[in-house]
Amino acid sequence: MTDTHTRDTQWLRYMVLHQEREDKPHQHAGTVHAPDAEMALLNARDVFVRRPECVSLWVVRADLIFTCTQEELALHPDWIESLQPSGNPVEKYYFFAKLTQKGQFTHIGEVEAQNPTHALKIALQAYPDTHGFAWWVFPVKAVLKSTPDDIAVMFGPAAVKDFRDQANFHALSVLRKLMRKQEVEESHES
Amino acid sequence: MYGATVEPIEDIRTDAEKLAGFEARIARGEKIEPGDWMPDEYRRQLIRMISQHAHSEVVGMLPEGAFITRAPNLRRKLILIAKVQDEAGHGQYLYHAAETLGATREEMLDALLSGKAKYSSIFNYPTLSWADMGAIGWLVDGAAILNQTMLARCSYGPYARAMVRICAEENFHRRQGQDIVITLALGTPEQKAMMQDSINRWWWPTLMMFGPHDTDSSNSAVLIRWGIKTKTNDELRQAFVDQTAPELMALGLTIPDPDLHYDAATEHWHFGEINWDEFWNVVKGNGPCNAERMTARRQAHEDGLWVREAMAAYTEKYQS
Amino acid sequence: MNPESKQALIDYLITMADDELILGHRNSEWCGHAPILEEDIAFANIALDEIGHAIVWYELAADLQGEEREAYANHMVYFRDVRDYRNTQLVELPKGDWAFTMLRQYLFDQFEMMRLEKLAQSSYAPFAEAATKIRTEEIYHLRHTQAWARRLGLGTEESHRRMQAALNDLWPYALALCEPSNRAELLTQGGYIPDSRALKTAWLEQVTAYLGEVGLAIPTDSSNLPLSRTHHTEHLGQLLSDLQQVARLDPMAKW
Repeated sequence: MTDTHTRDTQWLRYMVLHQEREDKPHQHAGTVHAPDAEMALLNARDVFVRRPECVSLWVVRADLIFTCTQEELALHPDWIESLQPSGNPVEKYYFFAKLTQKGQFTHIGEVEAQNPTHALKIALQAYPDTHGFAWWVFPVKAVLKSTPDDIAVMFGPAAVKDFRDQANFHALSVLRKLMRKQEVEESHES
Repeated sequence: MYGATVEPIEDIRTDAEKLAGFEARIARGEKIEPGDWMPDEYRRQLIRMISQHAHSEVVGMLPEGAFITRAPNLRRKLILIAKVQDEAGHGQYLYHAAETLGATREEMLDALLSGKAKYSSIFNYPTLSWADMGAIGWLVDGAAILNQTMLARCSYGPYARAMVRICAEENFHRRQGQDIVITLALGTPEQKAMMQDSINRWWWPTLMMFGPHDTDSSNSAVLIRWGIKTKTNDELRQAFVDQTAPELMALGLTIPDPDLHYDAATEHWHFGEINWDEFWNVVKGNGPCNAERMTARRQAHEDGLWVREAMAAYTEKYQS
Repeated sequence: MNPESKQALIDYLITMADDELILGHRNSEWCGHAPILEEDIAFANIALDEIGHAIVWYELAADLQGEEREAYANHMVYFRDVRDYRNTQLVELPKGDWAFTMLRQYLFDQFEMMRLEKLAQSSYAPFAEAATKIRTEEIYHLRHTQAWARRLGLGTEESHRRMQAALNDLWPYALALCEPSNRAELLTQGGYIPDSRALKTAWLEQVTAYLGEVGLAIPTDSSNLPLSRTHHTEHLGQLLSDLQQVARLDPMAKW
């Protein structure tokens, strides 16, 4: 056995956020592994837009996302109060929340803050009606986004790949007919 | 909690309190998210199950992938490529779910390639004819969907969400398989014979996919208690036979089980005993294609090493 | 369209379709064996696109002959022998390593891209329309293959060495891609297809510049290989025996 496993790299992990329609917020789709953001965006298209349901993709390195759950917060209700700005320069953060038990992380809005925990504190205050069960914050500048020009090139082609659509398989109606015929025959026999 | 340069929140509860709280959440139907407290055993079982499931998707590309170049018309070729591609996608989604529990893809692949991790034994059977594309789609994917539909409701959020995505795509897999089976079963006598031969070979291995009897399944109880599984192996197996047997028979195909019959009293299809010696033998690595499948995966992994290194090196040199 | 131009256009469409089909076939061989999971998926997309483009071109040829589209395309793919295929040898060569595959795809995509831009203005409207649609997918292919070629060209010593070796092997075959087909002059005069010499010049300029940028040198001492699309390597016969195996079990059967 060679030592390939000790040398192996599966590259970096990037979170993928996708928007199905212009009037819907970005939602978490999954992750892709990629050596850099540009490749991550290309991979995100290939992994998550094999079917036609996307107008925009964002990728952000998974290790740049600050996450927190309702349970973590509930353990120390005063923790969030104790968080203080760090004195870093203010920058913009995206705020995502999981609003229902079964739901995906969904884009809620943006806040300006000095660090991720500070951003979470501000976001929870700024969006009091959308608390949900778990949260993500990450710097806006860490995100690489597809552009409007990419819609046709990156997401358009999936629309003509109708062979992936299960509705296009008609043999099943043949099977149903056969089964009905058999039922009728059986009821005649008995 | 990750990605932050802050101290983690200290959990001052005792282990018993934590476990009680956790189980109460499961009982309320809440989803556990990364960052939430969970028993070590819950994490361990999930990583084992999810990575095994991911490996199955990745190894599962091989038996059908072997027929991509031979698909008998252009439409079938596009469908089969898209299907095998979806399997890579499902492996990808599942590795992601396991990563949220702290496992890395490097570790998981190493476990697969070194033989430590298991994958579904069904993929250690050979594909011998085009009809096998139909049998795999209908039987193997049909069986998988029953399992996956259950897992889409499981208590761990990222796994459940990956499953929702997978189930939607998996229906296409089953449909295209049914389409092939129906076309061949109603085709020429030679096509029908080819289809029957395929059903003869895939029927029993498919029933084995659901795993050992509940009484012999060491993990079942804890998986059900923690809401990872909601149905037992035997329940799922019975549901599969009830659904599939009458459909195959309606097409004039024979199921290779002399004991198979409909039991009006139980309203279920009664089926014969699985050859468990064969099952355990394949699980232990002695199936018809275990060695071939692992060789193919190792080859791809080693041939790709210079590629992965070069891509990472470019980033180091030019982007950092 | 006069009968002679029509036949020439059909022949031209077949060369395009055969190239896309055979390249798609080679690409599909990677599905399940790619260097990383994400690329199993991405490269399968490229294979699907190329085979999809082949179908479009076969169907246009079917229309020109009044043939039923799907049946014609399947007949062309599954029931022609080696001597009747009109693809270039570039696409029939075995897939090789990832460098060979990626570089072949880049050289092809770049040519395809430039040709489609011109074909989008073809005087044969269905041709122009199809080219416009396919071009959208090619833009993405090119983005993908350029990104890969750059990283592998400049990544490590090994990746650079493999890329340069692949380029040395591929180059004479790639040049054949630009050779005018039978009666191309006639089609160019009719405004159906772009001028092959101008296309070749533009393509050469583009790939020389890009490959230079990513640290690869165009070989200068390429030996002369047969350029005609009526000549094939032994690889095509092997490829077709695989491709056509099941379909030929019973040519009259529905699969």
